[in-house]
Amino acid sequence: MMRASFDFDRPRELEAKSPPEDRGLGRDGVRLLTTGDLGSENGRFADLPGRLRPGDLLVVNESATLPASLPAHSAAGPFLLNLSTYYGDGVWLAEPRWAVGRPGPVPFAPGDEVRAGAVRFRPIAPYPGIPRLWFFRAMGDVGDAMARFGRPIRYGYVDTAHDLGAYQTVFARVPGSAEMPSAARPFTPQLVERLGRRGVRIARVVLHAGVSSLESEPDRPEIPPVYPEPFEVRAATAEAVTRARAEGHRVIAVGTTALRALETAWTYGGMVAARGFTQLTLGPGREVRSADGLLTGLHDPRTSHLALLFGFAGEARVRAAYAEAIRAGYLWHEFGDSHLVWRPGAG
Amino acid sequence: MTPRATRRRNAPERSALVTGASRGLGAVVARFLGAEGYDLVLVARERGPLESFAGELRSKGATVRTVAADVGSDAGRKLIASTGAFETGLDLLVNNASELGPSPLRPLASVALEDLERVYRTNVVGPIGLVQAFRPALARRSGLVVNISSDAAIGGYPGWGCYGASKAALDLVSLTLAHELASDGIGIVAVDPGDLRTTLHQAAYPGEDISDRPLPEITLPFWAWLLGQPHDALSGRRFRAQAEHWGIPA
Repeated sequence: MMRASFDFDRPRELEAKSPPEDRGLGRDGVRLLTTGDLGSENGRFADLPGRLRPGDLLVVNESATLPASLPAHSAAGPFLLNLSTYYGDGVWLAEPRWAVGRPGPVPFAPGDEVRAGAVRFRPIAPYPGIPRLWFFRAMGDVGDAMARFGRPIRYGYVDTAHDLGAYQTVFARVPGSAEMPSAARPFTPQLVERLGRRGVRIARVVLHAGVSSLESEPDRPEIPPVYPEPFEVRAATAEAVTRARAEGHRVIAVGTTALRALETAWTYGGMVAARGFTQLTLGPGREVRSADGLLTGLHDPRTSHLALLFGFAGEARVRAAYAEAIRAGYLWHEFGDSHLVWRPGAG
Repeated sequence: MTPRATRRRNAPERSALVTGASRGLGAVVARFLGAEGYDLVLVARERGPLESFAGELRSKGATVRTVAADVGSDAGRKLIASTGAFETGLDLLVNNASELGPSPLRPLASVALEDLERVYRTNVVGPIGLVQAFRPALARRSGLVVNISSDAAIGGYPGWGCYGASKAALDLVSLTLAHELASDGIGIVAVDPGDLRTTLHQAAYPGEDISDRPLPEITLPFWAWLLGQPHDALSGRRFRAQAEHWGIPA
């Protein structure tokens, strides 16, 4: 399906430029739109326990956000090296950008070297079909450079820099995401406790999210719109999901990252422990079998996230929900509002 | 980070031998390895294209040696083995050179048996011969052997039987070698790169438009991933470079 099919008009002002805490709200004070068989209902994220049933299983992504944006320079001058994904053995996929609000490409010549603190990065090759992303070989301690100079990756629509803590969810345990798995940001320890008292269970997966810079989505049809990201579904989670489905309980993926990890590990008849890199692309024509609900943010036009949502819940349902979100003034992006979407028949 | 990965990264230099390196998938892998900092020995049958490709890599700072040889012949393999390039060891052997067989493809029921033998010499005997020749060098570096397979190895596609059977044989060769060479610390993997817009694929469909197949560059993320994994965890596995996910069972 062509990307243009996933279009709609999102008013420019409907985007969160700062965390809800800066807008006088708690994390769970953001709004929650719940969309199911009876249409969409407005509320606050703190209402989530009332939107779920005892026995429901939430699957969260426990990847923690890295301070992945490094000030760097090369023969081309100073720029930001936004580290996206670690491939092992010193190789990183990264997005060199001129500045927070100014994408690359940053030109490299043969033999060029990038310096970020004491670490040298040698450009290896551009990512196929997405020339803004490059593979680099790092020489030096990248973790140390991130700890000393790194900042959380930020784009032009977020007006000021925030500490790394603003980019961690309450479930964050395994560092590795270039960008916050933001669907779980509104959860607070108190809310997690209330969910537990309600009989809602929580299982964990890992998917380290790479850079999402909207400019970088490829337009060539043969290039997958999603590039590979590290994931892990451990045996305990695989068993919990398989059991929940067998017992007729609902499984709710918290975030598109959690859903992609779950769906990658789903095999005929149930879920199995799995780890590796996934570039699974979900959308119309690719049925989701591992989850009944998706708790996520509001997604921009023409993105792979929106295609995933159309495939998950059906285009008509999502378009109606987004019309309501726009009418009611919901906010987009990682510090914005939330959306709980049920598949037809699930809620 | 595993101890093995640390040792490899701190090593002064890493070396790789790539066959069928002058074009297509082999050239893409070689270009990536050269930029990654591997010392390269590139093998192809035709000297002209090989030298011109090697020149391109050298101009970007890569260290490249070339051997114009046919991996399907004894003489060719002896020539490759005699380069003496790997006295300090070999980190990576990519058996990529492949023979399609007749173009256009012919069904097994009528394929010339000498074509079948030629395909097996390049696709099966060649990789085994190079592993035999470089076993000590690979063992010295706990190296990795990558045998390029094909979806034709399991598809049973009409017309692809000659090529497919040779790749199915290579898959079993890879699995067996993985067991036999584990005690040497050598890892062996088979990789199905998926359909690609290459000379070999075009030869299977002469005159047809294959521009809907992706260029071999599409496999770059896979190679970046594969080379970052510990060899002992990879060994004996078969991967599809264009699969939805690449994993090592927990």
